[in-house]
Amino acid sequence: MTRLRPHISLLLLLLILALLPFLVGLLDGQSPASMLAGEAGRSKFIQGLMIEIFILAIYAVSYDLILGVAGILSFGHAMFFAVGAYATGILLKSAGWSLGPTLIAVVGLGLAQAILFGVVLARVSGITFALVTLGLAYVFDILIKTRELGEYTGGDVGLQGIPRPDFLNPSDERLRFYYLMLVFAALVYLLYRRFVDSPTGRVCIAARENEERARMLGFNTILFKFVALTMASISAALAGMAYALFQPIVSPEVAGLGFTVEGLLMVLMGGIGALSGPMLGAALFKFMDFYFNKWFGESASFMVGAIYVLIVLFLPYGLVGTWRMRRRDMLAGWEELLERWRKMMG
Amino acid sequence: MSSFRTHRAQWIILAALALLFLLAAQGMSTRDWLVTVLRGLSVAAVTFLVASGFSIIFGLMDVLNLAHGALFMLGAYVGWTAYVRPDTVIDLATPVLLFLAGFALSPALTLGLSRIPARLRERRAFAWGLLAAALLVLYLALPHAPMAAWHPGEYTDSPIVWTQTFEAERVAELAQPAVAEVPAWLVWSGILLGGLLLAASLIAFNMQRRPPVAVASAALRRGLFLFLALLTVALLIYGFNTPLTAFMLSLSSNWLFLFAIVMAVITGVGLGGLMESTLIRPLYERALYQIMLTFGLAFIGTEIVRAVWGRSGFTMPKPELFAGRGEGCPATSIGGWLQHHCSTIVIEIAGEKARIRTYNELFLIVMGVLVLVVVWLILQRTRLGMIIRAGVQDSEMVEALGIDVRRVFTLVFALGVGLAALGGVLAAPATGLSDAMGAHVLLTALIALAIGGLTSYPGAAVGSLIVGLMQQFIIKYGQIGIQLPFMDEPFKPTPPLVPASTVLLMVVVLLLMPQGLFGRRE
Repeated sequence: MTRLRPHISLLLLLLILALLPFLVGLLDGQSPASMLAGEAGRSKFIQGLMIEIFILAIYAVSYDLILGVAGILSFGHAMFFAVGAYATGILLKSAGWSLGPTLIAVVGLGLAQAILFGVVLARVSGITFALVTLGLAYVFDILIKTRELGEYTGGDVGLQGIPRPDFLNPSDERLRFYYLMLVFAALVYLLYRRFVDSPTGRVCIAARENEERARMLGFNTILFKFVALTMASISAALAGMAYALFQPIVSPEVAGLGFTVEGLLMVLMGGIGALSGPMLGAALFKFMDFYFNKWFGESASFMVGAIYVLIVLFLPYGLVGTWRMRRRDMLAGWEELLERWRKMMG
Repeated sequence: MSSFRTHRAQWIILAALALLFLLAAQGMSTRDWLVTVLRGLSVAAVTFLVASGFSIIFGLMDVLNLAHGALFMLGAYVGWTAYVRPDTVIDLATPVLLFLAGFALSPALTLGLSRIPARLRERRAFAWGLLAAALLVLYLALPHAPMAAWHPGEYTDSPIVWTQTFEAERVAELAQPAVAEVPAWLVWSGILLGGLLLAASLIAFNMQRRPPVAVASAALRRGLFLFLALLTVALLIYGFNTPLTAFMLSLSSNWLFLFAIVMAVITGVGLGGLMESTLIRPLYERALYQIMLTFGLAFIGTEIVRAVWGRSGFTMPKPELFAGRGEGCPATSIGGWLQHHCSTIVIEIAGEKARIRTYNELFLIVMGVLVLVVVWLILQRTRLGMIIRAGVQDSEMVEALGIDVRRVFTLVFALGVGLAALGGVLAAPATGLSDAMGAHVLLTALIALAIGGLTSYPGAAVGSLIVGLMQQFIIKYGQIGIQLPFMDEPFKPTPPLVPASTVLLMVVVLLLMPQGLFGRRE
């Protein structure tokens, strides 16, 4: 029990998330049997929303690994995600592969992308690296939108009609999809947590703080950054694969610069470098996106811009980052408030 | 010779590119080549106006201003307003000047606020309260300022229709003067009060960061003088609103275009100064946050443009000097154009007629070269330029030598944004206005800068040149096809290849020389 104590909040969260579909169903008076059968209802809607959040959370946390942990400024992260999504779609649809080989291929492609970026990283760093990755992602974005490749990628419209294996059908077997994604997101988080605490991760952080010094100590920092890049690339590609399997259409927007910027917003909202932060940020972003579009319609991006500015000015370490830094103060303030209350009550 | 050796890679790449452009002449006729080169130069000129400001800002203060494109776009839209609806600008002048008058009193406000007991002054709620009061007063007063304007929501009153009205020279007839619903003195004093409160709140925020310093009496007097001057001008403009509007509407489009340029540059300089001094200054040393902040501002700027001018794009008519169609047109020489103000010049090259648009392909290029030379002279021959060049090398050293770098930063930021706004208003008649023009030009300028070297002024010029020419040549080859070796059919690049080719060039150049062609080595 003592060993589990530090992880109690994580376990609690996982438990709540695992029970969530049933809780929502019970609140609506839907019987568990009908939910297991995958019948429509609010529970199913919530499951869908949560699956999207899990996918975004993996995407955001993988961005955080290179941005916040390894300190690499990359503007090509949407490409990592989109390669996974499009590879899945094309291999399943046009090449007629089954899920297993596709999975292996996606992992391989993730590795290949990491190697591509790693080669760039060995040559340039800082803002130049950001520009090169932006350029590479942009070329990829253009490529998938061209008419010549439209037969495979669907061009501007997006990739439709991907055949899905029956046991993972997002409409009939949504509950199974939900648990799969929950486990996947939790695994990615735990893996990243472990990575950050491992000697390799520590060197990554050291290189972020002071690359010269880390090199002086005899670490080949490029190699360590490459490890982080590989992990991020593969998990983002897998998130892309999940996206392709879940969404009815792979929209070309996931390859655009806009998606990278959204990822950056998620990371920033949650707290850069705090792994749980970006995942929280992804959830917040999804809700914000949903409600802003509902409330403000076309001018939703004004709110997104305003939130960018406000976060940078007033919450530069994000929600989780600020909480970690000022937890003691906040808790002390809370205690004081309670104390005053008690006195007032007599 | 030693200079050749140190810059070997640079020269080789430049020579290779020059060779490519010369070879490009092989596949097409001389006329096509000339027209394509001119178009490339014109794109390069606009790109350069954005890229140069961006590069000086980045070089001096390491701020990657991603809002530069949005400010370029704002310059274009403000220019359109001053050009097509000068009556709106006259109506706007009074509230804006009154608002600024509040800021002119900053020294007196500093003095006043420093008399307030520190216990109260240093409370956060004090500054926030002032800010909230300022916003409330402005929110109440601003919508009631009488202003003649367009409404993007209704088609008959939308910018598209007003552009057509302008082309038909009927703006003076159709522009309705604004009707005041609330007594004017109330609105004007509200705006003045709002400006004062806003200035006071900014000062209060500043005082929390550092204790107040004594205010020199000269500054006090200067502030008071400026305040009175702005107040007088604002009220004069309000008093003579009707004759002024009539005068502006009777001006020829050449003068209006000049007016548009001046207004766009003023807006750009003002917004740039405001942005630097309020939002960016607290964030030096934190690169990622600056990027996010400017990016957020770009979002907001784009939405403001959409809210005020509508989502659909429209055109801006060219000034008379470049719009002639009638007798003597198209001209056959520069002299003919000066005489008849033609929109195009047709010249014969090797038996083929080349159509050259006077605005796009002559005026823009001339303006680009002019700005290139003027900014170069400022950088090389003035004290400010010397400080900027020294600051790009080592800004800490400049500060150590006793130069107030903060003021230089604000000035340079303002001027850089002013250049972008100038680019916007100059590009508008050539390319039209749309809410995507900012992002597009920012990407082009970034590519140009990455190729040329992010912090280098000549690099900005050469990079813009390369990007502009390359774009136009690929577009041209998309029309006529290009005979590549090992291919039977002529290869026709599709439109998406235009940006892709420049991006690829950028990636290649950066991988070969991470600092760009002209960037300094770290």
